[in-house]
Amino acid sequence: MRARAFTLAGLLSGLTLLSPLFAQDAPTPVRLIIKPLLCVIDKDATSCAVTFDIRWKSQVPGEFCLNDSVQATPLRCWPRSLAGEMTQERIFAEDFRYWLSLPAAGLSLPAGDSPAAGGERLSEVKIEVLRVGSNDRRRERRTRHVWDVL
Amino acid sequence: MKFLLKVAAFWAAATLSHAQALPAPEATAAPAGEAAPAAEQAVGSPPLILPEERRWRLGAALGYGERSNPLIQSDDIPVVIDLDIAYFGKHWFFDNGDLGLQVLDNSLFTTNIVARVNSDRAFFSKTNTKYVTYTVLSGGFTAPILSAAPGLPPEPITPEEALPLKPPDRSYAVEAGIETLFGGEWGQASLRWFRDVSHTHDGFEVAADYSYRITRGRMTLSPSVGLSYKNAALTDYYWGVQPGEASRTLDAYQARGGLGWEAGMKLNYYLTKKTRVALSANYERLQHSVANSPLVEQDYVLGYFAGLAWQF
Repeated sequence: MRARAFTLAGLLSGLTLLSPLFAQDAPTPVRLIIKPLLCVIDKDATSCAVTFDIRWKSQVPGEFCLNDSVQATPLRCWPRSLAGEMTQERIFAEDFRYWLSLPAAGLSLPAGDSPAAGGERLSEVKIEVLRVGSNDRRRERRTRHVWDVL
Repeated sequence: MKFLLKVAAFWAAATLSHAQALPAPEATAAPAGEAAPAAEQAVGSPPLILPEERRWRLGAALGYGERSNPLIQSDDIPVVIDLDIAYFGKHWFFDNGDLGLQVLDNSLFTTNIVARVNSDRAFFSKTNTKYVTYTVLSGGFTAPILSAAPGLPPEPITPEEALPLKPPDRSYAVEAGIETLFGGEWGQASLRWFRDVSHTHDGFEVAADYSYRITRGRMTLSPSVGLSYKNAALTDYYWGVQPGEASRTLDAYQARGGLGWEAGMKLNYYLTKKTRVALSANYERLQHSVANSPLVEQDYVLGYFAGLAWQF
């Protein structure tokens, strides 16, 4: 009985911890899909160099612009269409966002990260940078316990 | 204790002599699992100045793994959950059971005074008892009946004839010592010296290890190697059989000091900033005198783990 309860508790806690990986937003009229979403670099590296594969799909045809949180003007606008795709090579060192917006909002968007300032973001994707390691050598020390696997 | 202080003072003096003219590290990187806010810059730009790291490091891994137990009459040690709990203050730190004080830090190395609990004792927590019976052979010698001889039926055994075979109890030892950590683009290395301060075994250990992290895409791969010398007092306390512990099932044995080595590999595949698939394997070759102990049935310790890990 205790073993079953333990197994159930383990499964529940595992699913809870995993839930962010499988979480999906409610269906939206426009969907932006970008790969990769994460860049892993060593602590000594200055930046990530990534070629992004950017695709979007809309349930209704429209004019859409792709923006990012680094520059004020849209990266690209597509005339009335249901889908679009492009690739972009970029070098970056911090987290940033891509999003799709209607042309007017995209063109008037100032630099920054605030949806209120730049108009409605129809679909948004966050690109993250993860630095592994630390310049504090104590954080890199190896403990030699029997249970140490991390 | 005096000896410990002398060694610590010598170690500190030796490292201090190299530390005088060395500048402090310029940049502090964000720890794994945290955002790294910094200005966008191209390759070749000046080094990033990143914000101070969080003092607490909390993580957990859930999966399955084992560490083999080299002791006779023992069970392997299962690893289902591994917690990572560490705190790094300006000078003091706590790292998964180790308590440390940073005494030197410069661009070449970091030296800490550390207190820890000896890890050899952990194997003695997973032991059990086997009962061995003896028969008298012609000539008056005795021999254990572990199984029936081929072609002969086993003799009836009474409980009174059976003798227990169980590894003797061993205590945890609190050890204090000094470690120097090195790191750079070439990898990470450390030198450690620890001595028992709890008068459990009154021995010492000197160890060195090296690891190198390779980052490719979302994956990091970290091979490592290490050497460890444990002196006779430490080795004999845990792996020897004292005359008072010897019996017909367990011969007396005096273990000597010696050199062991280990090699390992850790692989992480990052699913998100905070979540990763973690695989690890480690092989430790026990020193010759430990491997020959009647308490030991394997001359190695093999550990592995596969699971999901979270950095909170």
